[in-house]
Amino acid sequence: MKEALIGTERLSKSFSNGGAMQHVLKNMDLTLYQGDFTVIMGASGAGKSTLLYALSGMDTPTLGKITCCGKEISGLSSDELAVFRKEHCGFVFQQIYLIDTMSVMDNVLAAGLLVSRDKKAVAARAKELFHAVGIPEETQRKFPTQISGGEAQRVGIVRALINSPEILFADEPTGALNSKAGLDVLDTLTKFHEEGLSVVMVTHDMRSARRGNRILYLKDGAVMGECELGHYKPDDKARHEKLRAFLAEMGW
Amino acid sequence: MKYRKFLGAFVVLLIMEIAALAWFLNREEGVGVQDAVIVNEAVQSVQADWERMESHQNRTELDYTVLDNSGTVLFQTKTGLSGSIHEAVIRRDTILDVEAGGEVVGKLIIENDGVRIALRQRQRTAAVFLFAALFQCALCVIYAVSVRRTVILPFRKLQRFAERVAGGNLDIPLTMDRQNLFGAFTESFDIMRSELKKARIAEAQANASKKELIAKISHDIRTPVSSIRAASEVGAATADNEKTRQNYLHIVYKADQINTLVTDLFSATLEELRQLEVEPADMKSSELYAMLSEADYFHYAGIPSIPDCLVCADKIRLQQVFDNLFSNSYKYADTEIQVEAALTDGYLCIRIEDHGGGVPDADVGRLKEKYWRGRNTKNVEGAGLGLHIADSFMGEMRGKLVLENGKYGLAATVFLALSGNDEKI
Repeated sequence: MKEALIGTERLSKSFSNGGAMQHVLKNMDLTLYQGDFTVIMGASGAGKSTLLYALSGMDTPTLGKITCCGKEISGLSSDELAVFRKEHCGFVFQQIYLIDTMSVMDNVLAAGLLVSRDKKAVAARAKELFHAVGIPEETQRKFPTQISGGEAQRVGIVRALINSPEILFADEPTGALNSKAGLDVLDTLTKFHEEGLSVVMVTHDMRSARRGNRILYLKDGAVMGECELGHYKPDDKARHEKLRAFLAEMGW
Repeated sequence: MKYRKFLGAFVVLLIMEIAALAWFLNREEGVGVQDAVIVNEAVQSVQADWERMESHQNRTELDYTVLDNSGTVLFQTKTGLSGSIHEAVIRRDTILDVEAGGEVVGKLIIENDGVRIALRQRQRTAAVFLFAALFQCALCVIYAVSVRRTVILPFRKLQRFAERVAGGNLDIPLTMDRQNLFGAFTESFDIMRSELKKARIAEAQANASKKELIAKISHDIRTPVSSIRAASEVGAATADNEKTRQNYLHIVYKADQINTLVTDLFSATLEELRQLEVEPADMKSSELYAMLSEADYFHYAGIPSIPDCLVCADKIRLQQVFDNLFSNSYKYADTEIQVEAALTDGYLCIRIEDHGGGVPDADVGRLKEKYWRGRNTKNVEGAGLGLHIADSFMGEMRGKLVLENGKYGLAATVFLALSGNDEKI
């Protein structure tokens, strides 16, 4: 029996667009489970990123309730949400947002020292993570402008995991990368997921979606359908066919 | 007339305030003027009692201190008075000599109470101005309430009335009130509504008759056309030459064409209702509160809090549905109304129940039928279309309208589809 990690009740998010209300998420009742690699798919404008930001406390819902990591976050103030995100969530975005004037290592340490005062422990954790994602020490001393896009995204993952979050949110993490670099990033995410990390990833790339064990398909702000794929195996053709058939049924 | 009274009261108050201010600025200041007779009386009484000051009694309303020549306090009418010449000078007290046997034996220090008097006068002045300000505020509040009651509320009532008429609801009358500014128009507006309603009922009845006529004619036409067709088929089968057979077949073809046209004509009348456009969109459930309050024109119901969610509805059509349900309740039950809101599987349900005892069970299923009217409707205007149209609107909004006999009366439940549910496969 899987343990619920995130739950929503009638989650709705609306934006005012030139005076007219645009309802992006509509009455969403959703449960995401601990240890899952959940992939959120859907056409542009379906509400994927809005859902990710609402679930992770980056944005507040217009209506409804969100419970994340055992805490109801829908009523928290922006300061309380910042603390919550710092302690429970890691984020990986399409744009990596590394600070150009700091070395790769310092970028990661800066994020780690927001939570822990123990610089040695943070540095040790950073080295361990860099090793896990295959970033050598030489690269750790470089500045973000001196490394490739794929390396930068893996640094982004290290930064997201430095505070040992319970859940990693990824918004199109391979969207700005070439095929090889994207594959490296997906392998890295898969590796951490296999070690027990819960991942929620937004993508409209089928190759990325294969890495998830649960696929949610959004349309017009609602979950149109979902598919349970089981654990990722690189050469499992039946699994790939199941995903393809599901997406075809969704009209993707 | 009322406004003149208000204006008059304001002018009078302003004049009173100006007069009070003028008096205040020009009055003689009594502060610091000492009554010489009373002072003399005090001196005399002290001089008389000089030899036995311990038994001296103050026989005046003044407060004073008695000192001997060495500065020792022999008597004080109360504590807190000047106890030396130095203090007396600082407080601007009156200092007089006390003589006995032709010699100055001591000093009498009479308290300067000018400060106290000035303070009292200031307090009195402040009280007067405070009263004037409060009076002005009260007048303003009365004026504002009066304007709201006589202008703003009637105007809003007219506005809601106009919206209802524009939305097609002609059932709710505009109550007349000659006390407000719009009183004179109200009756004309209501007559206009009444006339519009009569015209609409007449139109509906005319349409109904027309449809009956079309249905009858279509049936009547079909029968002879079928006979013509059958006879022509027989003719074609028994024709002795090709030309005659072709003529018969042509008649059969034309008979089929007439039949199709008549059928189309009949179907078109039945599809008439579908011309009312319904454009559902997502809306917040919190907006329903205002819509229900708007529909409950006579305030017979307590509108409950509505669970937060997004629903799929056409606001104008949904308002018409609520208007129809409440106006039916007013017309046929005229009792208090219970409104409940709850979320069920995929729907937000708004249940509206009156206390009128309901309708016979056999009639419940027919309430939404077109042109059907209940047994208790003889003296009430109507065309038997309201619930039929409301049901049609709810269907177009992916919701439904359920009518049933409740515990107290007829209960109508409006099922509003939750947004997003239609996307699920």
